[in-house]
Amino acid sequence: MPLIDARNLRKSYRLSRENTVDALRGVDVRVDEGEMIAIMGPSGSGKSTLMHLLGLLHQPDADGGPTPELWFRGRDMGRANDGARTRARAADMGFVFQSFNLVPVLTAQENVTLAAEYAGSSGSKARRAAAEALELVGLGNRGGHRPAQLSGGEQQRVAIARALVNHPAVVFGDEPTGNLDSTRAAEVLGLMRDLNRTRGQTFVIVTHDAEVGEACDRIIRVRDGLIVGQRHLEAAAA
Amino acid sequence: MHLLRNLSRRKLRTGLTVAGITIGIWALVVFSAMAAKMDSLVQGGSRYYADKIVVTSGQLQSATSLPMHLSDGTTISALDGVAAVVPGISVAFDPTPSAVSFGPGAQIAGQPFGADKGLETFATELASGRFLTAADEGKSVAVIGSDIAKQHSVTTGGTISLRGQAFEVVGVLQPTNTQPDTTVQVPFAAAQAFFFADLPSIVAQNVTASDLAGQFVVYPTKGTDIPALAKQIQAALPGSTAMTGADFDKNIASSVGVFDTMVVGIGLISLIVGGLSIVNTMAMSVAERTREIGIRRAIGAKRRRIVRELVTEAGLIGFLGGVLGLALGALVVTLANDAGRSSGTVLFELTAGGAFTAVAFAVVLGMIAGFVPALGAARLDPVEALRFE
Repeated sequence: MPLIDARNLRKSYRLSRENTVDALRGVDVRVDEGEMIAIMGPSGSGKSTLMHLLGLLHQPDADGGPTPELWFRGRDMGRANDGARTRARAADMGFVFQSFNLVPVLTAQENVTLAAEYAGSSGSKARRAAAEALELVGLGNRGGHRPAQLSGGEQQRVAIARALVNHPAVVFGDEPTGNLDSTRAAEVLGLMRDLNRTRGQTFVIVTHDAEVGEACDRIIRVRDGLIVGQRHLEAAAA
Repeated sequence: MHLLRNLSRRKLRTGLTVAGITIGIWALVVFSAMAAKMDSLVQGGSRYYADKIVVTSGQLQSATSLPMHLSDGTTISALDGVAAVVPGISVAFDPTPSAVSFGPGAQIAGQPFGADKGLETFATELASGRFLTAADEGKSVAVIGSDIAKQHSVTTGGTISLRGQAFEVVGVLQPTNTQPDTTVQVPFAAAQAFFFADLPSIVAQNVTASDLAGQFVVYPTKGTDIPALAKQIQAALPGSTAMTGADFDKNIASSVGVFDTMVVGIGLISLIVGGLSIVNTMAMSVAERTREIGIRRAIGAKRRRIVRELVTEAGLIGFLGGVLGLALGALVVTLANDAGRSSGTVLFELTAGGAFTAVAFAVVLGMIAGFVPALGAARLDPVEALRFE
């Protein structure tokens, strides 16, 4: 059974009363456990929208075509309500964003703990899980620092720790190396690749960065709201 | 801890909002304390007048009633249903008061010892010394109320000057928060002499001091129809006024009502001003933290949790303002009471219940005001919120 099996995903956004944009025009995506997938395409191609739908941040449009299906771990989340999608995001999904998106008034440890608490862990258990996750990304000794006291690379590693703290089925990355210099980008990419190989962590990463794409098992190419090609990269997986 | 850090992000704005609540709650505390004092006075009066009839001449000469005669008491005693009749006199402590007083002003009062035949149920307690006895009749001795004692810095064994005469203080009463606090009790004959001296000469010519009474307190026998007896007394003594406990409660209710309305008004003003400033602060706070709320939602915070966090934060602002407002109010009330005691004008009574209500009111106000912006934040689309710069 695939981890994610999505069919007929469509999404339109209304920009004004007369003007709507069809961000996704009917795509099928399958993600297997343990895969590291890159979604690539030019700006405005619909790759971020695809990630938002797969990550249950938005719902696919029901009208204008065949009924969309979004099977996640054997459950159709295509029409799930906000509460059910929020619970699934908290317990089974992790998110890493381009601009790190840490809560500025919280320390690294507290940022990671927050995600554990949202998934239902109590105080001490959540703090313990956060400490382990920070250790995993090599920041075990930086837990007491606030985001402003950390470098961009460190902040992104905190974000990865936050994404991993609940041992999610899948981690979504939205341009996770986009705001980093090449050295830090390589470090973060290496960390994700390593987590994928050693722990079998599934990643779905939206990226412009060809190096990120080349490091993945599979690249899904999106253009004008449609999937225009897929490529398996044996070399990266080896 | 997170909450305090969130509040400290914009110290000036949070501080100004807290200051707004502080001022509202301060006003509420001060006016509630004033209403509480008023209420105490009324309650004291209500207790005193319960189950008895107070008869006066019905004509007022400034603050003092025109005199009655002890023979009027004999007339009342002859009526059916009368258990005891106690003549009483009260005159102003200071015949030329310099300050406007709140409630009954300070008084000198006297009545024959034991005339109530033990029927008086309104009890006062001694802080020190003793009560007056029959043996004190004819002596210059006094039992004084707690406010009088503070005002004149005198205690049992000391002397107090009443209209230029020195009286030995033989007892000081415990505070009652009502009239006895500002009353000096003297033997009846001494009170009659003060009353006589206050009378206009045209009245004084026709009376003798030892025949005078200012009022009569009538104690009905058990089971007597009090309003009917009051009517009989008025019929027996044409021109007199016989006031029952029910009459007192009715008369006073209207003036208390005005005061209560004022307090509610102050409460409403602080509600609106304080509430709007919290709404404003929380709305700005939510706007600034749109992206952060998006992050929280994206990583799995339920809407309910976002609402709870923000409402708690608003409640904390209310709590801080409430505690500061209470502290400021308590300070003002204490200082004003201390300053007013010297002129017999104790205006405020801050109760534990009043203090708790003020703080609880501020917290609830904060939470209600924070609810609307919090609800807006919880409804934010996480993706849109994350794009917010």
